[in-house]
Amino acid sequence: MRRFGRQCRGMGKVFVTLVRQTETQLLARGHQVLPLARAVHACWHSMMQLSEDQRARLGIQLTAALKAHQRIEYQARRLTQGKALTHCKIVSAYDPTIAPICKGKSHCPAQFGRKPGMIAEPAAGFIVALHLPVGNPSDVSYVQPLVDKVEQAIARSAMYPRPAIHSLAGALAFNDASLREALHQQGILTVGSPHTVDPLPPSPTPADVLRLLSEGDLPRARTPCQVHLAYASGYSRPMVESIMASLLGRGAARLTYKGQRGAIVQTGMAVMAHNAATLVRIHEYRLSKRARTFRRRLRLRGRKVNQGNASIN
Amino acid sequence: MQILRFLQHWLMGRGVCLQVVDFVPVTHPLRQWAETFPWAALVAAVDRSFARRFPKPTTRGRPPVSTRVLLALELLKHELVCSDAQICSRLRTDVAVMYACGIRAVQVDGSQEHFVLPEVLAHFRSRLDGSLMEELLAIQAATAMAEGLVSPAHLVVDTFPSEQGSQRVNDAATLYKAQQKSSSSSPP
Repeated sequence: MRRFGRQCRGMGKVFVTLVRQTETQLLARGHQVLPLARAVHACWHSMMQLSEDQRARLGIQLTAALKAHQRIEYQARRLTQGKALTHCKIVSAYDPTIAPICKGKSHCPAQFGRKPGMIAEPAAGFIVALHLPVGNPSDVSYVQPLVDKVEQAIARSAMYPRPAIHSLAGALAFNDASLREALHQQGILTVGSPHTVDPLPPSPTPADVLRLLSEGDLPRARTPCQVHLAYASGYSRPMVESIMASLLGRGAARLTYKGQRGAIVQTGMAVMAHNAATLVRIHEYRLSKRARTFRRRLRLRGRKVNQGNASIN
Repeated sequence: MQILRFLQHWLMGRGVCLQVVDFVPVTHPLRQWAETFPWAALVAAVDRSFARRFPKPTTRGRPPVSTRVLLALELLKHELVCSDAQICSRLRTDVAVMYACGIRAVQVDGSQEHFVLPEVLAHFRSRLDGSLMEELLAIQAATAMAEGLVSPAHLVVDTFPSEQGSQRVNDAATLYKAQQKSSSSSPP
């Protein structure tokens, strides 16, 4: 497990010192290699005995080696003693896309890895889309790519009338004025996303419904009934945790495949396996009371599992 | 029929014909799990992507292991929390895993050590990329929506941390071992 440093938020010095020590070693080695690499580059074109393919392959390897050193050198110049590392610093010389995860760990060592984002339907926990960016950007930046992916999935389903996203719920980390405005412009309610740490009300008053519809300029796009449903399906931490637990149990807890592509493949496969298990639960109607009520109000159906895709296997 | 053609080098043995369907009850969790996937659309998407990115220079040689089997193995690996070697081994002995991989009948041959090698699975995985994974997930979601099982009307968004772990036997090691094994077993 790749973790070190901060036992709590006040011990940033350990973090910086360890990174500095590692960097010094890597930079010292890099400085020895740099003049050699430059010399090779200088006499590159005079080597007639090499074929074009060999020359191209060696050129790619040389450029990659030089770039790795440049990245570490750039980071070393930016690092300031006494300050904790910000996001997207290099923490592995072998995979520069790995970043420290500074999320929900107030008294634990900082984890190194990735932060996948998911968008799911709250009734049964089916994950509609997944987004895994490089580094560790803010949660707000995940929303628009995820919404776009859901739109693509809807377009692929070829359903008429085409279903639309009515509301989007999220944690307090997704509370951003510009994001809310962008979602309202797309006709999406944001009533499930809290403004403060105060708990969300279980059901809105008629005055709240009118205010919400006029706030987002959505009285034509959305109905009061949809606002009530959006309140009912608002952000629920136990529900989100159950989805995460299912994913973590299917191998998304520790990314073992190498690089960004490997992380996407591993998380994607875990999500697809989770979705299949969710569909089995829907078929068998093994759902919570909240999920059953919600599905009934959305007029979603269940069916026997062995009647559907048997013909296409 | 296509799966049978691709896997003929190990399905066409001389032993007793085993009907896999007879051994896996309808209520078996793995059977139910496997039947939720739109396999035809998923396999077509993978084949299309591979054909575009890795065009075959020739049609000669033995047909490869079916995409349906390899894709199912990769998904089963996550569902059953197995390593490459473990899932490939289970494919040889576990009838439910065979069913999930789309195999309906097997000619029993006790001398056969394996059906699919771990390095074949590692090679298949190395060809998967981000855009293809997005497409596969979109196909699964679109199918569920079209069948009226899920609705995109009300959604919830969140992130979760995934730590960087280390693979005890990584893909490079698997492929290297396979290369060494083949070079040592081949005649001089």
